[in-house]
Amino acid sequence: MSPQLVAAALITGVLYALISLGLNLIYGTMRLLNVAHGDLVMIGAYVAFLSFSLLNVGPLVSMFGAALICGVLGWLSYKCVFQRLLSGGQILSRLEENSLLLFFGISVIIQNLAILFFSADRQGYEYLSAIVEIGDVRLTGARLAVLIVGAIISVAAVFFLRFSLFGLAMNALIQNRDASAIVGINVDRVQMSSLIFGFGITGLAGALISMMEPITPVMGFPYTMSAFVIIILGGLGNLWGGFLAGLLLGVLEVFGVALTGPEWRSVLVYGIFVLILIFRPQGLMGLGKTAR
Amino acid sequence: MKNSLKLVLAVVLCIFLAGVAGFANEYILGIGFTIFMYIALAQSWVVLSGLTGYISLGHVVFFGSGAYVFILVWGLVPVWLGVVFSGIVVGLVSLIVGYPVLRVRGPYFVILSFGLAELVKNLVLINEARMYVSMRPVFGAPALYQLYTAMLLLAIIATGLTYWIRRSRFGAGLRSIREDEGAAETIGVPVAKLKLLAFAISGVIPAMVGAIFIMRSGIFQSGDAFTPIVSFTIVTMAIIGGSDDAPGPFLGVVFLALLQELLWVNWPEVYMIILGTLLLGFVLFIPGGLYGLFTDYVLRKKNNVT
Repeated sequence: MSPQLVAAALITGVLYALISLGLNLIYGTMRLLNVAHGDLVMIGAYVAFLSFSLLNVGPLVSMFGAALICGVLGWLSYKCVFQRLLSGGQILSRLEENSLLLFFGISVIIQNLAILFFSADRQGYEYLSAIVEIGDVRLTGARLAVLIVGAIISVAAVFFLRFSLFGLAMNALIQNRDASAIVGINVDRVQMSSLIFGFGITGLAGALISMMEPITPVMGFPYTMSAFVIIILGGLGNLWGGFLAGLLLGVLEVFGVALTGPEWRSVLVYGIFVLILIFRPQGLMGLGKTAR
Repeated sequence: MKNSLKLVLAVVLCIFLAGVAGFANEYILGIGFTIFMYIALAQSWVVLSGLTGYISLGHVVFFGSGAYVFILVWGLVPVWLGVVFSGIVVGLVSLIVGYPVLRVRGPYFVILSFGLAELVKNLVLINEARMYVSMRPVFGAPALYQLYTAMLLLAIIATGLTYWIRRSRFGAGLRSIREDEGAAETIGVPVAKLKLLAFAISGVIPAMVGAIFIMRSGIFQSGDAFTPIVSFTIVTMAIIGGSDDAPGPFLGVVFLALLQELLWVNWPEVYMIILGTLLLGFVLFIPGGLYGLFTDYVLRKKNNVT
C-alpha cells in the first residue's frame, strides 16, 4: 500500500465519482440509459484543449465553459429527442431499451463529428506539469489540481442535490415519478434540468481529465463503461452510493493495473463491468433498487 | 398459391445472383459481397435481438471471434472446412458463455453485450501482443467470385433461417419472451433454453461471415475485426428495415448499402453520422422500420376493403 498508489487511486476515484453522478441523475430521474456519457467527457476535454491552445485559457477556467457547452447539448437533446420519448407513455422496459438505441446513435454522431473537426489523432497539452511533493507522494501539479477541484465539485454537487429545492425535486423524481407530479413538481422542467445538469457536470469532468490524459475522439468509451459499473455497484439512482462506488472502482483499477501491467487496464475495466452485471446487478450493498 | 409464387421468385433471384459470379467484374462482385455480408449479419441479429428483444449492441463479437478462430487454423485445414469450423467453435462457446450472460435481463443485457464485445477485443489484443503479432496476413485466399458465392450462400441460409424461425413454434416462444418473459415462463415456455439456442444460432453465422470477410480483406487485425462500427451498422440496418421478420433487414441493408457505396471510401465519418441520424429518426418516428410501414399499409388497405 504505497502512498503513491493511494494518491493515484484517489484521483481516479474522484473523477469516476464525478462522471458517474451525471449518469446516475439522468437514469434516476428519467430512466434513460446514456451510452453516450463518455463522449461528453471527450467534448469537455476538447473544449479545455482548444481554449488552452487557441485562447490560452487554463483548464481550471475553461472547465466551466465545458460544462456550459455540454449543458446546452443536454438541453438540445432533451428538446429534440427525449421530450418526445418521455411523453409517449411507453412501458418502462421499452423506454430503457429505446433510450439505449437513441444514445447509441447520438454517441456515433458525436464521435464522428469530433473526428471530422479535430482529426482522429491524439492530442494533449502541458499544464502545471511541475512535480509537487507532499510527504512521500510525488504528483504533477495537474494531478493535484484535479484531485482537489474534483473533490470540491463532487461534494458540492452532492450537497446541492441533497439540500437545495431543485435537488430535492430531482430526488423526488428519482423516488417516485408519478407521485412527484401529483404533489405539484413540474416533471418536465425537472427532467430537462437533470439532463442539463448531468451533461454539464460530465463535461466539466472531461476538462479535468484533459489535464492528465491524451485527448482523442474515442477516449470516452472506457468512461462510459466505468460509469455504468459505478452506478450499478452503488445502486441505480443512489447518489451517495455512486460516490462511494466511484472511489472503490478507482482503487480497484489503480491497484489492479499496478499488479498486472498497463496493457491490462482495459481488460480490467471491462472485466469488472461484465462480472458485476452477471453476478451483482442489484448493487454491492444490495440496498439499491434494480432497474425493474 | 401466392406463397409458392414468392418461393419461385426467390429461387430465380438466387440463381441469377449466383450466375452473376461467372461474368461480373470485380467491382460488382465487391458490392454484392458487402450486401450479402450485411444481410447475413443483420438476419442473424434479428434471430436474437429482433425476436427475443434481447438487444445486442456488440454483435461484432461473433464476427471478430469467428475471424480469429479462422486465422488460427488458417493453413492447417482446408479453407472451407476452416470457415465451418470457426462457426462451430463460436457456436459452442456462445452456448457456454450465453448461459450466465442471458440471465441478465432487459437494459442490463444491452449494456452487457456492449461491454462483452470490448472485453473480448482487448483479450485478443493482449494475446496477440504476447505472441508479438500486430497483424496476420492471409495469403492465397480463394478468388473473389468464390468468396462472393460463399457469402451469397450464407445470406440465403441466414434469411431462410430467420423466415423459418419466425414462423415456427420456436419463434413463437422467442417472441413471447420479447412481449413478457415472466408470463411466458409461467405458462411453461422453456425461456432459458430458447434464449440460449437463439443466442448460439445468432452467433454461428456472423462467425462464418467474419472468417470469409478476412479472406476478402486479406489481413487480420484484432482492432479492425472487432470494430464497434460493424455492431452499429448491423443494429441500424435491422432497425431501419424492421426487425420482426426476414424481409425487414433485407430492405434495411439494400437501402444502406447504396449509401455506404457512395460515402464509405471518401467520407466514412459522414456516412456514420448519417447512419446515427437515421437510427434516431427510425427509433423515434418509425419503430416498425420500412417493413413495418409496408405491413401497416397492407393491413389498412385490407381493412378499408372489407
